[in-house]
Amino acid sequence: MLRKVQKICAVTALAAGFTGAAMADDTAQGPVRNRTISYATVTMHWSLYQTADAKAECPEGLNDYGPREVFKSYFGDGKGKSVVDTQLAREGFKYFPLDTEDKLPYHHAGGKIANGINLDGKVRDGDFVNQEGETGVDNNLYRVIGCARIYRGPDGAIFFFATKQVRDYAFNRTMIEITDVDDLANDSDVSVTFYRGMDPLMQDASGALVVAGGTQRPDMKFGKRLIRRAKGKIQNGMLLTDPIESMMVPWEVFPPVPDYLLMKGARFSLRLTPERAEGVLAGYADVEKMYAHATTWSTHHFSYGQHDAPRFYRELTKMADGYPDKDGKMTAISSALQFNMIQVFIDHGDDARTAEAAPLNQSKPEARAGRE
Amino acid sequence: MTAMAADAQRTVLPAEREAYLHVPMPAGFRVEYTELEGPVFADRKGMTLYYWPHDTLRNGVTGDSKNQSDCGFEKTTLTAGLMSPYPPGLELPDLAARKSCAEEWPPVYAADDAKPIGDFTLITRKDGKKQWAYDEHALYTSPLDKVPGDVMAATSRESGGGNDGPATRRPAQPPSAIPPGFAVLTTTGGRQLLNDKNYSIYVSDRDGANTSNCDELCARMWPPMLAPVAAKGQGDWSTFERSPGVYQWAFRKRPLYTYSLDYDIRSLKGSDEAGWHNVYLQLSPAPPKPFTRQETLAGIVLADENGKTIYTYNCGDDSADQLACDHPGAPQQYRLAICGGGNAARCLATWPYVIARDGAKAENRSWSVVTIDPMTGRLAPAGTQNTLKVWAYRDRPVYTYARDLQPGDTLGVARGEHRGRRNGFTAFWLRDDFFGNTY
Repeated sequence: MLRKVQKICAVTALAAGFTGAAMADDTAQGPVRNRTISYATVTMHWSLYQTADAKAECPEGLNDYGPREVFKSYFGDGKGKSVVDTQLAREGFKYFPLDTEDKLPYHHAGGKIANGINLDGKVRDGDFVNQEGETGVDNNLYRVIGCARIYRGPDGAIFFFATKQVRDYAFNRTMIEITDVDDLANDSDVSVTFYRGMDPLMQDASGALVVAGGTQRPDMKFGKRLIRRAKGKIQNGMLLTDPIESMMVPWEVFPPVPDYLLMKGARFSLRLTPERAEGVLAGYADVEKMYAHATTWSTHHFSYGQHDAPRFYRELTKMADGYPDKDGKMTAISSALQFNMIQVFIDHGDDARTAEAAPLNQSKPEARAGRE
Repeated sequence: MTAMAADAQRTVLPAEREAYLHVPMPAGFRVEYTELEGPVFADRKGMTLYYWPHDTLRNGVTGDSKNQSDCGFEKTTLTAGLMSPYPPGLELPDLAARKSCAEEWPPVYAADDAKPIGDFTLITRKDGKKQWAYDEHALYTSPLDKVPGDVMAATSRESGGGNDGPATRRPAQPPSAIPPGFAVLTTTGGRQLLNDKNYSIYVSDRDGANTSNCDELCARMWPPMLAPVAAKGQGDWSTFERSPGVYQWAFRKRPLYTYSLDYDIRSLKGSDEAGWHNVYLQLSPAPPKPFTRQETLAGIVLADENGKTIYTYNCGDDSADQLACDHPGAPQQYRLAICGGGNAARCLATWPYVIARDGAKAENRSWSVVTIDPMTGRLAPAGTQNTLKVWAYRDRPVYTYARDLQPGDTLGVARGEHRGRRNGFTAFWLRDDFFGNTY
């Protein structure tokens, strides 16, 4: 109780603009304390390589057939038709996408460049090169959604809302805590724990910018299922973790839906500074969970970006390239989530170090092997 | 509704009833205590009164304008296109059986010589008849209400609304008897007490009757709800002097506080601190005994005896009348589209009903056992073969979702049109720390 009261007083003092000696001493210690530095997510979205006119990655153009266009192509203006045979039929296809086989055009993204990392350790024809020059980059999700307006920044509906909601809603307040840090630029052996935080992000006086140095309490109640831990290394300021076998990434895009992505074999690749961590969480997104996550968005939202749900499902399953089931059917698709994080201090309070709550969570290479 | 449900006893105990302000009412009108909504206005038969406020939907506005009724006896046959992205003019289902707005929501007529009283006024309908209004909203009853105290046709809960849910009716209610500085919220847990900025109110087990044991340090975390010196207690409410010259409110003799770490309004987080509890003017009736509570990523849901999350189904059509389609007496095509792509057998596999065990009996009006024809989704007429006895909440069946594999899974949330708000499923939330799904 006393600790919490002191924290409130400290936050209040900070908000009021006081900078006492104790605060100055704390700041002098820097963000790495007890060989630990932590970051909280400010924005998160699917990482897409985009050119200004989209011609390099989408030579056939952006997709044009969303729910409105598909409806019109089948039913015109709908006059004289029943709501059951038109609207409700289309809504049903969203949840039973294999009931329809729309043949309307759907464009995949191509080109040489994509964001992400080499997930399978192999360099094959058709793999991408990322902007840092890494070859063998696996990102089939980019092929599926790279030409869909809804995902493209800065004004695609999902890009916009996902970015905004991650910052606004504590449900999405993911964090990483890097421990055993001897050098933030180069360290061959660190541990990384993934949590959800409980507190608002600290903002500047205008409220427009999130600033470093805020405090977060880890969510050890409803967020306990999210905790994951992995080993990693820092090389020239880049953190790369080992793959995490199965990771729930909370991501509510449109409230009030508490949903998440299920990432398999996922690795953080983040450029670290004392104030920020920026990069990707690259891994294989479980296809069924990803589609279920997407269909928590209404058809209205799909319409914003010419994105048709049942067709999206077919493309996802067609391009899935990881985690084959017993029949060899791929259940996950290579992908990369863009993370922009701000440095925070994690207050574990009276709890034991929560990192110990999660065992090391390394994935097995044979489980994630995709197409040979 | 089955006879079993209609005969069930209501369980709101007198000591837990929410008090209300006695306002002038037309002769014959009365106030009924209800299990979920607190006190509501009722007609001379005890049937709940409802109103239909204007609501802005995606593509337009519907509902009653003030001091007029837009709910008539002409049957609508086409969609109004109030919801994106579909066009207007689509033919509505089951037209032969479809009722007009006024048949679904019978107006509360007034005698020709009736006079306004208090906030109850009179409006003239388009056919010239007089209709009672409260706070300038035309009043209606619903055939879904069978016994006094039923509020089966609508709720004062907010969730499901916004511009994605239907433009719903709401029960007309007398003001709650709470002091200035407080507010009341209808939640799945009960009628929750808040301050007038919508932050939650708490009580402590350490306190005595009209006595606070929360000292200065404690009070930084748990700010007391201070009362003016001149405030006087009444009914469930009292004040006491917590320190010389400083008075604090108490409810049912328990001193009241807010919680400094409640970043969000309407929170239940303070109740995680040992000995501290949220305050309810009245609690909702207990769910059926086999049901359980399960923790999820966002809070706590009601679950069946196997831990599978319970879902309710929401539906309002896209006509100008915004008639509900969430009841087994309504057209089932909406639900069948979402739960099975129009296929009833697939619905049963994907969204199974929550089966009531043999001998299961309703213990209140909120929860009941209804007999369903599973292939139509409608209440089964007597003599129907292969029926199911299933649990229902507010006379509507509840469901589980086949893809929820372990307790705490809520993968069925937001399945349906407009994130499940307009035509789809939502989990039965008992606590939601993030999105306000309990209210």
